[in-house]
Formats: sequence, structure tokens, C-alpha cells
Amino acid sequence: MSPALLLAVPVLGAFVLPSLHRASPFASRVAGPLILVVQVALVAALWQQAVVHGPLVIELGGLPAPMGIAWQADQLGLLWCGALALLALVLWPREGHDPNRAATLTLLLVGAGSGLALSADLFNLFVLYELTALASFGLVVSQGTGAQAAATLRFLLLGATGSALALLGIALIYAATGTLNLAQLAQVTPGAMSDPLVLTAFALLLAGLGVKAELFPLNTWVPEVYGAASPRVAGLLAGAVSKLALLVVLRLLTTIFADTGAAMVLLGVAAVTVLAGELAAYRAQDLRRMLAYSSIGQLGLMALAFSVSNPTGIAAGLALGLHHLLVKPALFVMIADWPRRRPQTRGLAAGAPWSAAAFVLLALSLVGVPPLPGFWAKLVLLQALLGTGGGPYAAAAALVLVITVVEAGYLIPLARQLYSGEPAVRVRARIGRGVPLILALLLAVVLIGPVAQRLDQVASSVPGPATALPRLSASEPGQP
Amino acid sequence: MRGRDLAALLFLAGLGALLASVMAELGFGNPPLRAGGPILEQSPSQVGAANIVTSVVLAYRGMDTLVELTILFTAATAAGMVLGQGTRAGRSQSPAGFILSTAADALFPFLLVLGAYIILHGHLTPGGGFQGGTILAVAFFLPLLAQPNAGIDERITTWVEGSAGAAFLLIALAGLAGDGFMAPFPGGELGELLSAGSLPVLYLALGLKVGAELAGLMGRLLTEDEA
Amino acid sequence: MTSHSDLLGIMFYGAAVALLLIGLYTMLTRRHLIRVLLGLTLVEAGVNLALVAAGFRPEAAAPILGPGAAPAMVDPVPQALILTAIVIGVGILAFALSLVVRIHRTYGSVDLQVIGERLASDPDGTGSEIRRRAP
Repeated sequence: MSPALLLAVPVLGAFVLPSLHRASPFASRVAGPLILVVQVALVAALWQQAVVHGPLVIELGGLPAPMGIAWQADQLGLLWCGALALLALVLWPREGHDPNRAATLTLLLVGAGSGLALSADLFNLFVLYELTALASFGLVVSQGTGAQAAATLRFLLLGATGSALALLGIALIYAATGTLNLAQLAQVTPGAMSDPLVLTAFALLLAGLGVKAELFPLNTWVPEVYGAASPRVAGLLAGAVSKLALLVVLRLLTTIFADTGAAMVLLGVAAVTVLAGELAAYRAQDLRRMLAYSSIGQLGLMALAFSVSNPTGIAAGLALGLHHLLVKPALFVMIADWPRRRPQTRGLAAGAPWSAAAFVLLALSLVGVPPLPGFWAKLVLLQALLGTGGGPYAAAAALVLVITVVEAGYLIPLARQLYSGEPAVRVRARIGRGVPLILALLLAVVLIGPVAQRLDQVASSVPGPATALPRLSASEPGQP
Repeated sequence: MRGRDLAALLFLAGLGALLASVMAELGFGNPPLRAGGPILEQSPSQVGAANIVTSVVLAYRGMDTLVELTILFTAATAAGMVLGQGTRAGRSQSPAGFILSTAADALFPFLLVLGAYIILHGHLTPGGGFQGGTILAVAFFLPLLAQPNAGIDERITTWVEGSAGAAFLLIALAGLAGDGFMAPFPGGELGELLSAGSLPVLYLALGLKVGAELAGLMGRLLTEDEA
Repeated sequence: MTSHSDLLGIMFYGAAVALLLIGLYTMLTRRHLIRVLLGLTLVEAGVNLALVAAGFRPEAAAPILGPGAAPAMVDPVPQALILTAIVIGVGILAFALSLVVRIHRTYGSVDLQVIGERLASDPDGTGSEIRRRAP
């Protein structure tokens, strides 16, 4: 079975959905989630293969790389395909004035994101990234308000500029090496590109990917967009899409930019991101913005983990990413009915006990209180940072500890405030779509052992540069 | 805001210097051709299209093209979502003058023929689905500029868009039965109109899709309420 | 490598970087939304130029096979790449323009500063649709 189906199936569904909608609105409402279920089944089947036989490398069209495009379905990529599809299923956007178009865009997002996780070709990753971006833009603006349009435009301007710079980086790489295949680039780059050239290319690519990965200084769009978009869309973006962008950065780090200064660059950017994000969250008075800034901080932590590009770092990044994928969307969905500003949430627990309890649970996990999964994820991160030699990494570990205190500084008082005092207005709030996510989180508490083992296995199964494409011979093909 | 302009200027000067120094290291006129070289050698036998760029676009890098046409579809869908609930009160626009109306009517068949030619010969000469499709879209858009109240029939464009896109994807999926997703089908003599197997068909689907999409999009933008 | 190639290289890559810088400057300093989008288009044009220049070979022909033996040809891959990149740019531009139309309908202006002020006073953007001729 070809991994290309993970892109083809949702996209085909998206193409057909508008016409289907005209023919039978009922069928079109069911079709979307049905396709996502099929997608999850496909991921499961491919996952089986990957676990038993190792990463599946396909050359699309039977045309060998580097002439053609290669995809690589390893456990890491498939894990994120599955996570994306499941999250989209849970957060299926049904509201908005045009739910059919929102459904189409969601399917496109799932298809593009899956491709992003599986592709092993530099330009292919670029186009898939652009598709992901456009689908995200469309989803943000799904209710058509002016604020959404303004937020989306800022997002778009940053994103498109970053992508153009990333394409320039690709141009530099191609001009120097003549190939776009990640595995071949890993072989060829050390000889063909000097350090300044390589680092410039990495910086340009990071400028593009960093927009979606919410890295400093390209994340100015985040508070506006998460504030204006619908909670489900915000959850989808913060939970899955941003992680996929970081995943691509990881792929680049382990292939083209292995053993260069690129990891240090990422470490620096990540550290600033974490600091800026969490401090902003501490000062935020608007709940949605607080969550948005917190998400920036968490993504910075994940980037810190990935900058340690050995299996421990990858496992830490995975743990952080999956944890955040469960927690943040649940939070966004839950606070949809809450008052907008922090002081107004006083005594909320009186009218909405379940929501308040759920908030406390999620907040504690975010801060990292044992035995919740958040604690374990941060622990693995500290292990990865301290396990690598070097001052910068140790400094990063100290930063993580400092940041945890800051997080506690703004989350714990908020949680306490929910239970103290009388509310001005009794808010009726439901956990809503957050329920499956919270249940998954609680399940993870119980199953932490097997989950940790599995993540370690996924991380160590990421193919190194040499093993990624067995068909490419080690010797260089001569020039015509 | 002079201060900000100056800061931007300084930043860009620095960026330019960095790029210049880095690009000086790249040679010019001597590409490594690790991918391009084998393609130039093998595409006549592997794909059979006289226009090698087309064989790259539709065969070697076919997945990129698939994603690209999906991007256009996404843009049209998202734009439709943003503009969609607009009031169609744009019908208050006055029809254009004599020159535009006459020219639009006169040019319509020529543009159709030109667009069709470029699409169908994409595998032989420069051109192809995107270029020809854009010309087709313009062919339908010019009369709209002349007669803004006419509007573009959304149902037709959506249907063509969807089915042409699905056709492209289905041909790509059909490759799964053979060599793999998006494998090119062989067929025909190199240089003939009927050559390069599935490529002309792919470009035909592509051209129709792009044409319908852009026409619909431009039509929607034009008839927007403009208060 | 002949100096002729060097000169061509400076010309092409230089032009690409110049376009890129002019486009970025426009995006950073202009307030009119359409002009900002034009700046974005310039940036993309510069990058595409750089990409296609990477495939150049002196005295080589276009990669189209004719009757007879095939001559040396330029690298066909960058040409296919920028084809894709240009179309992507068009898609993004089209969507951006639809956003500009929508913003104009809600806030009555395409001036970034004016929009910023109105956003601050009406954060949800669902307030009264300001119907006014744009400046």
C-alpha cells in the first residue's frame, strides 16, 4: 500500500465534496468524517508495516530519485499523520456560515499535513507546506468576520514572506548541490557547501518554517489569530499544524544540516521563543491570548528538544508535542464559553464545576506536576538537554526550569481563582469536544510506561541520513 | 515614519550584503545536474515527451504539480469562503464602453483556440495546463469585464473544477496499479501530438481545472459589493 | 569558468537579490495594503529568478527535443520548480486579495494604520460595517 494514499484520499475527498454537497447535503456532511476514519485506518495499516519492516521508502511514479520525488514512511511521520487525522476528527469544524467549505479545507489540511510528515524531498516539502498554510488561512477565516480577515492577512503576509525566503534557501541549496532529495543532500552537502552558505540556507528555511512553528520573531500573528479564529480551528492549528512545521525542521536537521552549526541556531531561536512566549503569557489578561502565548512557549520547548538531534531529544520533542496536542485544543475548546478576561473568571467553578476541574487538570499537566504526562515530558526534555555535553544545552535546561516556575506563576493562580469568590454572572460552560482529549490524557497517565517505550522506539527508528534511501549508490553519479 | 524606513533600509542592506557574499560562492553556468542530468538523458525513453520541462512537471515531479493544483483549489475555496456571503448587489455596475465590449466579443474565440492549443501542445512546445488554463480563464473573464452584470455561472465552474481535479488525481492513482503513484503511461511517438502517454491527458484535465477555477475566482472578485 | 559567465552570474543573481530587497522594503514601509501585496509579488519574483538562474549553462539550448541529435541543454528542473512556485504565488495572491476586499468591507479602508486603529476599537470586527469610500 502506498503512503501516497495518505495525501490522495483526503485531497480527492476535498475535490469531490463541493459537487457532492450540491447533490446531497446530507451525504456531504457525513463524507468528511468518514474519509478521516479511512485515513486513520490507512495510517494504522502502514504503521504495522513500518514497525515490522522498517521505514517504507517509495519513489513516486517508479522514477528513481534524485530524478523523481521520494517519500519515506517511518514511524515518526506516520505517528503524526495519525495524530493529525484523529485531532481533525475530534475537532471537526461544523460551525461557521459555510460548513461545507470548512470541511473541504479541513480535509485538505489533513492531506497536506500528512504529506509534510512523509515527504523526503526538499521542494515537495515546500509545496506541501504552502498547501498547509493556505488551508490554515482558510480555516481561520471560516466565520468571515472582519477580525478574522485582518488576523489572517497578517498571518498570510508573514507566512508568504517567510516562504519566499525559504524558497531562496532552497535555490541556494539546489544551485550548490543539484539535487532536492533529502538523503542525497545529506551525503553531498558537506562537500558541496561551505559553512556560511549552509547556515544561510538553514536560516532562510527556518524563516519560512518558523512562521508556522511559531518561533521568534515570526510569531507575531499567533495571539491575533488564536484570538479571532474559532476554538476548534485554534485547537487544530496549535495542536497539530505547528508541530508538523517543527517536524520538517527536525527532518532537515537530521539530514542536510546534520553536524553543522544549524542545531545551535535552532537552540538559540528556541530559547528566545520560550522566554518571550512564557513571559508574555504571564502578563496576558485575555484568556485566549494567554493560551496563545503559552502555546508559543511550548513549541519553543519542543524546538529545544529537537535541537538535540539524537534519539533522546527526538523522543522528548515527541512527548512534548503529543502532550500539547492533547492539552491545548482541549483548553481552547473549553474556554469558548468562558468570559474573555482573567479577572472575570472568578468563582467560575460554582456554575461549571466539571469545566473548572478539567481546567485545573490541564493546567497542572501543562506546568508539569507528576503524575500527569506533562511532568514526564519535561523530565525527558531535561534528560535530553543535560545528556548532551556543552554549556548551551545546560543553560537551556536551566531555562526550562525557570520557565516552569513562570508557568506555575500564571496558571496556578488562575486555577485557584476559579474556586474563590462569587462570580458576577454564573457561566454555564461545557467541556464539549475536549472530553476525548482529556480522556486520552488520563489514559496516558495510566499507561505512561508503554507510551514512553513506544516513543523511544519511534525516535530511534528515525532513519539516519545514510540509510534513508538504499537505492542511491554511495558513489557520485558523474556529470553528463 | 522616517525612523522605521531607515531601519528597514539598514536591515535590508545587511541582508543584501549577506546574500551577495554567500551567492558569490555559488558558481554560475555550471549546475551540478545531479537530478537534471539523468532527466535530460532518460526522459525521452522513460516518458517520451519532447518538452522535457513538461516531463519534469508531470512525471518526475508530478506530485509537486498535484499539490500545486490543490493549492489553487484551496485558494479558490478559501476565497469563496471569505467573499461568499457577499451581497450580489454588485449588479449596479455599468456595462463597459464600446471598445471593450466589441473587443471582448471578438477576442473570445481566439483566446479559446489559443488556450486550447497551448494546453494540448504542452508536451511538445513550451506551455501546458497552467498557462493555457489561464488563457481560457481570461477568455471567459473579458466578456465579464464588458458585461459585469452577466456573472459567471458558479455551478458550471465548480463542477468542471471538481471533476477535472478528480480526473487528474484518479489518473495519478491509476499509476498505483503499475509502477506507483503518478507513474507516467507510455504511448505514442516522440514529437507527435499523441505521444507521451498520459501526459497530454493530465495537462488537459489540469488546463480545464485551472481555467474554471480562475474564471470563477475572478468573477467572484469582480461582482463583489463595492460600497 | 569564463568571466563572461561571472558577469552573467552577477547580473542574474544581482537582479534577483535586488528584486527581493525592493520587494521587502515595500512590504516593510508601505501602508497601503495593495502596495504591500505588490511588494510580496516582487519578493517572489526575485526568488524565482534566482532559482531559474541556477540552472543556466552557457551555449546550451532550451530543454525541448527536436528532430536530430539532442544538443546540450539547460537544467530543466528549476524551470519546473518556478512554474510551481509562480502558481503558488498566484493562489496566495488571489486569496490575499479576497481578504483585502473583506477587510475593506468591514473597516472601510485599505490603509494599515487606519485598520489598526479601527481594530483596536472594535476587536471582534463584527461591529457596524463602516460604509465609506476608501481614501
